[in-house]
Amino acid sequence: MLRAFESEWIKMRRRRLWFGSYGAITGVVLLTTIVTIAGAIHRPDRQGDLTIAQLAHASGLSQGIAQSGVLLGAVSFSIAAAQFGGEFAHGTLRNLLVRQPRRTVMMGGKCLAVLTFLIGAVVVATIVSICAAFAMAHLRGVPTGAWTSGDGMAQLGIALGDLAISTCGFAIVGMILGVLLRSSVIAIAAGLALLLPIETILTDAIPGTVRWLPGQLLEAIAQGGSSGAPFGAALITVSAYLAGLVAITMLVFVRRDVTA
Amino acid sequence: MSAATLAAEQVALTIGQQADKTYAVVTRGLTKRFGKRLAVDGLDLAIPAGSISGFVGQNGAGKTTTIRMLLGLIRPTAGSGTVLGQALGHARAYLARVGALIEGPTFYPTLSGRENLVVLARLGGVENRKVDEVLERVGLGPRGLDPFRTYSLGMRQRLGIAAALLPDPELLVLDEPTNGLDPHGIAEIRAMLRSFADEGMTVFVSSHLLAEIQQVCEHLVVIDAGRLLFQGGVEELLAARAPELVVRTECGEDARRLLLLVRGTGRTVQIVGERAGTTLEIAADCSWAGDLNRLAMSEGITLVHLSERRSTLEEAFFEITGGCAKEGASREARVRKGLVDPALCAKDEVEQVAGP
Repeated sequence: MLRAFESEWIKMRRRRLWFGSYGAITGVVLLTTIVTIAGAIHRPDRQGDLTIAQLAHASGLSQGIAQSGVLLGAVSFSIAAAQFGGEFAHGTLRNLLVRQPRRTVMMGGKCLAVLTFLIGAVVVATIVSICAAFAMAHLRGVPTGAWTSGDGMAQLGIALGDLAISTCGFAIVGMILGVLLRSSVIAIAAGLALLLPIETILTDAIPGTVRWLPGQLLEAIAQGGSSGAPFGAALITVSAYLAGLVAITMLVFVRRDVTA
Repeated sequence: MSAATLAAEQVALTIGQQADKTYAVVTRGLTKRFGKRLAVDGLDLAIPAGSISGFVGQNGAGKTTTIRMLLGLIRPTAGSGTVLGQALGHARAYLARVGALIEGPTFYPTLSGRENLVVLARLGGVENRKVDEVLERVGLGPRGLDPFRTYSLGMRQRLGIAAALLPDPELLVLDEPTNGLDPHGIAEIRAMLRSFADEGMTVFVSSHLLAEIQQVCEHLVVIDAGRLLFQGGVEELLAARAPELVVRTECGEDARRLLLLVRGTGRTVQIVGERAGTTLEIAADCSWAGDLNRLAMSEGITLVHLSERRSTLEEAFFEITGGCAKEGASREARVRKGLVDPALCAKDEVEQVAGP
């Protein structure tokens, strides 16, 4: 599997992919951080509004990062779907399978490479957004003393971990659709339609569905849990979904004829 | 896996081990069905080790499906076989010794040629120095760092062959390696194939270019509609087709007189469409040329041309595939090429196809 991992990383080092992916992910996290801090108000008009006082807490630094879950998920999903669906669409999969006929090993190594690539992107994006958060805090007059405390660092670490888990979850869904649909374009279109508008409509229309829809659950994980889907429950449900889907995908991939 | 399949694989393995040194590829009743469509129908292959074997058939004949089954990319519906002595169902046991170019070269367009090969080398556990070696071997050394998308079709084909050479293969499977190449590129690939065979590799190459196959291959497999039509030496195939004497007279009247004279000797003869009906094809080899000349002279007929013509692989291919699937295909093909005058000699043509 290490060979498959290394092989995939040679592709992931492409300058265009690197700048495109890392740029998009950093841009998303940066944007949500700036918008979150810029939108904080001194006195809340309604319940749920983020205040300057709340931002000054130890968890203030990670507020913006946590809000980037869905957008970051959509980017990660698309990158992963493109990496896997593209192998079928370009016909490159047959070359890979001739050199590594153990399909599960090949797929496992490839999956690991894509996930490490995305986790790296999340880390880079977080570092950039931390710098932006301090700059924005200075502009908005948010005290940052608690951010650099031990508690603040712990909160940041937890937020980063939650975001990484959520990103990996979205990416695995992308990989699954890429392999099953054998086309990056169809996989991205179908996946984004399901994870964004369809799930949002279902959540608004049917109360309680947030606990069962994968996109909503992954978003809840990125935020460290939500009122509709607590972190632990969301993590267990998503893990069960992904384990089942990965098993089915592997089975299909191992048994299916490669005609592309 | 059923007991019958296991037993068949065991038998195949035994055959394969025994035939390992003789045949690089052996299949028994290899069959692939896609839904209702039978793509490969009970194929029995025996590819001699160390040979350059040609694999020919019309579009959709089942060549690529067969190649994909040999490479473990497609599961056979039925049948068994061995590749390099290992059972067909266990591709991982032999693929490290097999190089392949399947249905044209496909690589990552934004990676350089070298990076594309490194991706495959790393995956297959091949050292990086081998990448530079194969790039040099196929003449891509100086362009190895350019993006694949900037390569010409010829360079792409050569990169595909370089990828196939990465594992130092004992068996090289090339699917249409000359597709879309100009004559210069085709000649280069031909020279390469010969050099691979000289090094002891078994080369199994599919192509539509029958003239190329005839020039480079010593062994041939012909399939049509998924079924094996011929398997054996190229010379064996061509020798089975009787040579012809091609004769040209000064005028059409002489040609018709000579036709009757030759028929009188019991030989098959026909006037063909070239040069206003003055050309005859006679089922005889050059040993009868003297007798023919004397026969013509005795009747005051002057021969302006007399030569022996042996069948080309293309003609043999048309005869084989036409005879099996489409009754009149051979005749039509030859008429289309102007080799046969259908009005004058339809009956003789059928006789000639059937053979004496």
